[in-house]
Amino acid sequence: MAVRLPEGALEDRLERYLEGFRNRHGLEESEVVGNTVRLLVSPEAVPAVLTTAREELGVLHLSYVTVVDRMGSFEITYELADLRGGQVRVKAVVEGEEPVIGTVTHIYPTANWHEREAYDMFGVAFAGHPDLRRVYMWQDHFDHHPLLKSFEINTRRTFEGLR
Amino acid sequence: MLSEERNIESVALSGRETGRLTDPDIRDEFGLETMDMNMGPQHPAMHGLLRLILELDGETVVRCDPVMGYLHRCQEKIAENRMYPAVIPLTDRLDYFANMHNEHGYCLAVEDLLEAEIPPRAEHIRVLMSELMRLASHIPSIGFLLLELGAFTPILYSFRERERIQNIFEAVTGARMMYHYIRIGGVKADLPPGMEDQIWEYIEGLEQRFTRDFVDLIAGNEIFVSRTRDIGKMSPEKALEMGLTGPPLRCTGVDFDVRRDYPYSIYDELDFDVITDDAGDVEASYRVRIGECLQSIRLIKQLLERMPEGEVMGKVGRRVRPPEGEGFSRIESPRGEFAVHIVSDGSDTPYRVHYRDPSFANMQLLQEIVPGHYLPDIMPIMGLIDPVSGGWDK
Amino acid sequence: MQTVLNLLEQEPLRFILAFGAILFLTLNLAAVLTMAERKVSAYIHLRYGPNRVGPRGILQPLADVFKLFTKENVSPNRADRWIFLAAPIAMFLPAAVVWLVIPFAPGAVVADINVAILFFVAVTSIGALGVIMAGYGSRSTFSLLGALRGAAQMISYEVPLILSLLGVVVLAGSLSFVDVVEAQAGGFWNWYFLPLFPTFLAFYISGLAEVKRVPFDLPEGESEIVGGFMIEYSGMTWALIQAAEFAGMGLMSAITTTLFLGGWQPPFEFLDLGQFNWVWFGLKTALIMFTFQWIRWSIPRLRMDQLMDLGWKVLVPLTLVWLVVVAGVMLIV
Repeated sequence: MAVRLPEGALEDRLERYLEGFRNRHGLEESEVVGNTVRLLVSPEAVPAVLTTAREELGVLHLSYVTVVDRMGSFEITYELADLRGGQVRVKAVVEGEEPVIGTVTHIYPTANWHEREAYDMFGVAFAGHPDLRRVYMWQDHFDHHPLLKSFEINTRRTFEGLR
Repeated sequence: MLSEERNIESVALSGRETGRLTDPDIRDEFGLETMDMNMGPQHPAMHGLLRLILELDGETVVRCDPVMGYLHRCQEKIAENRMYPAVIPLTDRLDYFANMHNEHGYCLAVEDLLEAEIPPRAEHIRVLMSELMRLASHIPSIGFLLLELGAFTPILYSFRERERIQNIFEAVTGARMMYHYIRIGGVKADLPPGMEDQIWEYIEGLEQRFTRDFVDLIAGNEIFVSRTRDIGKMSPEKALEMGLTGPPLRCTGVDFDVRRDYPYSIYDELDFDVITDDAGDVEASYRVRIGECLQSIRLIKQLLERMPEGEVMGKVGRRVRPPEGEGFSRIESPRGEFAVHIVSDGSDTPYRVHYRDPSFANMQLLQEIVPGHYLPDIMPIMGLIDPVSGGWDK
Repeated sequence: MQTVLNLLEQEPLRFILAFGAILFLTLNLAAVLTMAERKVSAYIHLRYGPNRVGPRGILQPLADVFKLFTKENVSPNRADRWIFLAAPIAMFLPAAVVWLVIPFAPGAVVADINVAILFFVAVTSIGALGVIMAGYGSRSTFSLLGALRGAAQMISYEVPLILSLLGVVVLAGSLSFVDVVEAQAGGFWNWYFLPLFPTFLAFYISGLAEVKRVPFDLPEGESEIVGGFMIEYSGMTWALIQAAEFAGMGLMSAITTTLFLGGWQPPFEFLDLGQFNWVWFGLKTALIMFTFQWIRWSIPRLRMDQLMDLGWKVLVPLTLVWLVVVAGVMLIV
């Protein structure tokens, strides 16, 4: 098999990941909880941190990208897995109403649709994304982002302009 | 990496290799054009409501663009407005071919927040149901693959097995499709009396007829082989790059199974093999699914043999109010890795729920590997991914 | 009474009546075959099949026909209306007309023409035209693809079909179906499927492809192009296309029987039923039709390139080689 999955005991590996991230990047917070390496990084550093994860540390799988609307700031989580028991959770907080963050599609191509989904649901713009269209909602005449806390479930307003 | 230029370039390459695409010079000289075609959303082979915008050169696909959202219910938004236990019936509607796994994943995430203790019998029943569900999902997906190749009979044989498993579910949970059985802290009710023997009897019978019905009738067929071998071929690097999980990943030879590598419930105490195959094409995914069915049968037998006595519901209050924080779970659904991410603000309702559905992630493969194939090859590739509409559309 | 019968023997009247009878037969054949198809598929699938209308469901075809008659005939807005409406007729008529030259029993043939085989080849080719008309006229991408596939497939498979017919012509020394059947008299070892076995197989396979049955149902391809050339049809036009398909299937079985299985000849001399030899013809035709249906519900569909490969790289050389062998043997003997 051409793909090399990480080897060795889980604790050692997690320690190696943590050291690897700490040595290369300025992290705001970093810790190991259970089988997870948790990182809090600045939004600008996200692509660099994920490049390290894939190219240097061999964490090959991006599970998903998710966003939490904290009313005024957005928490963007990248869930990585090394496929052998260890996981890396990279978190970045973007301030402001119209969040922008660098894309990671050139590092993990699978992020393509996950980022499109985050854009569709929260309006998070991923700079440099090759194909940032809505994935679920109508392409035209619909300028809401339904998972924002400010979006009320209200049929009349939601479908205005669609009929 | 997925930019337009690269896409066209790779398509042109594969077309040149197979001789399937018209040479650009010839196309210019004769003024040939490609044809745009909308496949779906109402299309019998699209596993639900999926629309593919295809660009065809003759019968060769030049570009494939999946359009989703025809079944989107915004489950994540609905979940934000419901109390924790009331989200479980919604998760049933996610991937409606593997409902138990969705319930299981959601409950594990909430229990991760609550740090609840689950009684051993409840864990056994959960895994038992999950494995039965895996059988009830894998066997029809073999049937679907054959149906899309034009053979009608295997789908009915496979649905016969699904019906019987649904009968078991009906006896245990009271419903045939939307179970609402796995609850936060345990399961809704104990198995009815005599149920364990009934399941054992069914599994014994299935083991006997499985090879006859789903391997002997299908695997050696010349047309089946010619339609599936080397179709949707991908390397393990490509599969990992596209974030595949489950059978589509394992059929390329990457040895990854959430049940073994990120064990949840009692999977670390059970004995089973992770089935892989090196070919990485549609036929390999069929072989992987066959192997996984046999492993599920093995798991169910082990579970029935070691089924402990005791409570089926842990000490979780009727009112679920987890502390502030994040809950996370990752399980192996029949289609791949199903993950749930819950953010709690300490109230009755989740602040944010995110489902990572395997159908959604695996579907990205379509726009990558369909170009360069013939139009009828889309159907076996759909069978390789085996997505479910409720899954990718949440 | 005798005068009436004599009047019926008069040439134009006899022919018109016979033609009416043949049309009636082919239309009914479609109904019977639909029913057979549903029952056979049900037995293969381990289910019951239609069993509600009439005893054991045998009146189901009547209900189907009634439903189709009362359905609205929808045609797409941008369709080429006349071509769209003419296509089912262009598909049905050739299939019905060829029945005129098939001998059902000794002396029971509507038109005993001496170039019947040529007539069969010429008229069935028109069926491809109907497919193209249907696909082009409905102006939909799916039906266009289906029509192009249908045209390519039917024209390609004419070649092995005709080449395998030539073996029979060489052996019988005649182009008339009646002569071919009579040349096969005297027990099943005289039937042509034994000396011409490879040709028989090639004819059977190309016959399957000509009538667009699984594994060669690419023009329909219900899981990829959802009905192909007939995607836009509904109600009676659709029923007519179905009738054409089933009449074509019955026709292909009848021709296979006539050319290779001895037509109305009984398998042994002592089983000769005289005028009632049509029973043998019917039994053999039904057997071939059953194998068509058996294949239909057992195996998946080929892809277009594989279909072409099979036609041009396997069947054509096979039939050509066997034609040369047969001709050489005939020359020596």
